[in-house]
Amino acid sequence: MIDISVKKVLSIDLEKQEADVKSFIDLNKYFGGTGLGLKFLEIYKDKNPLIFSVGPLNGFFPYTSKTSIVLEKDSAVEDIYIGGSLSTRIKFAGIDSVVLFGVSKEETILDIQNSVVNFKNKDTEPQSLGLPGKRSGIYFEGDKLLCDQYFTTPEYYLETILKEKNIKGITITGTEIFSPKNFDDYKKLYLEILDRKLDLRVDPADYPSCSGCPVGCGKSKVGEIGGNVLLNSLVACQFADKIYTDIGIVFSCLNTLGYEYTHEDIENLPGLIEETIRNISK
Amino acid sequence: MTKIIKPTYINRCNGCELCIFEAQRQLKKVGLEDSLIRVFRKKNPETQALGFELEIDPRINILDIEKIELICPKKVFEVEEDTKND
Repeated sequence: MIDISVKKVLSIDLEKQEADVKSFIDLNKYFGGTGLGLKFLEIYKDKNPLIFSVGPLNGFFPYTSKTSIVLEKDSAVEDIYIGGSLSTRIKFAGIDSVVLFGVSKEETILDIQNSVVNFKNKDTEPQSLGLPGKRSGIYFEGDKLLCDQYFTTPEYYLETILKEKNIKGITITGTEIFSPKNFDDYKKLYLEILDRKLDLRVDPADYPSCSGCPVGCGKSKVGEIGGNVLLNSLVACQFADKIYTDIGIVFSCLNTLGYEYTHEDIENLPGLIEETIRNISK
Repeated sequence: MTKIIKPTYINRCNGCELCIFEAQRQLKKVGLEDSLIRVFRKKNPETQALGFELEIDPRINILDIEKIELICPKKVFEVEEDTKND
């Protein structure tokens, strides 16, 4: 069962080929996504980390379908966002962030199932890894990385850092479940938000859709870069900003799931992120 | 007569997985484990277009399958009478 009372990070030491899960109760105030990713960038700064994070609503509510990726490139902090099913798989793996640090001695593929990491030879067939229907994969196709064979990121930051780290691809499988305490309220709110398609800034189309988003828009393929800190910490889609920058709605979603956040926590988030970026820059 | 749900128009599927989440919500859980619907991604080797396949567990009939049909944004499913098993 997914534990939402703490932030769980799966940290992977690529050089030693070791992984462990740590729980941080004191990092709840960073919410998730970019907020949490930046905090882990500060914590692991000396190890050139690459951080994938989801937010508190990913997997639970519609239009919260992105995964945040935080990294440092040429002394600049970059935050990019990728669509597809990666965010739901990370969430259902029961973890909030995956931190890769160090450099693998050989070209390696990471096969992650919940909190367990297997380091696979570069020639391993990606389709042989993980559990079909419950996995998501990021693999190179030519010089670009694709998630679920379709979704990608703007720029080449992710490609560059994964090549530097000798990582050829990542499969992640999530098999944990969650049951909100007041399930009827959760279901009602879920359907209300799902029904707000007209509030999105994209039109429905016939492209592959991110997990939990019915729209199949033409924008999701290339992901996002930068943007609103609340959206990015929830890791909601930037085109759902009318929904997820509304603090009342965000608070209702969090509350329904059983998170113990207050309005003040939401309002304090931008300040915390600014402070974390200042600490990273020192 | 029993009703069954079929992914008649699977070529329309966009892989959003709302059908999975609806089925799981009816079982009062959120997640993918033990889902009665599974969605698989598959690239067409000739066109390289990403397509989807659905696997539906026959036990799906314990759920409100009309809600599953309705939540699909691409109208992939059809609910019809099961003439074989009645």
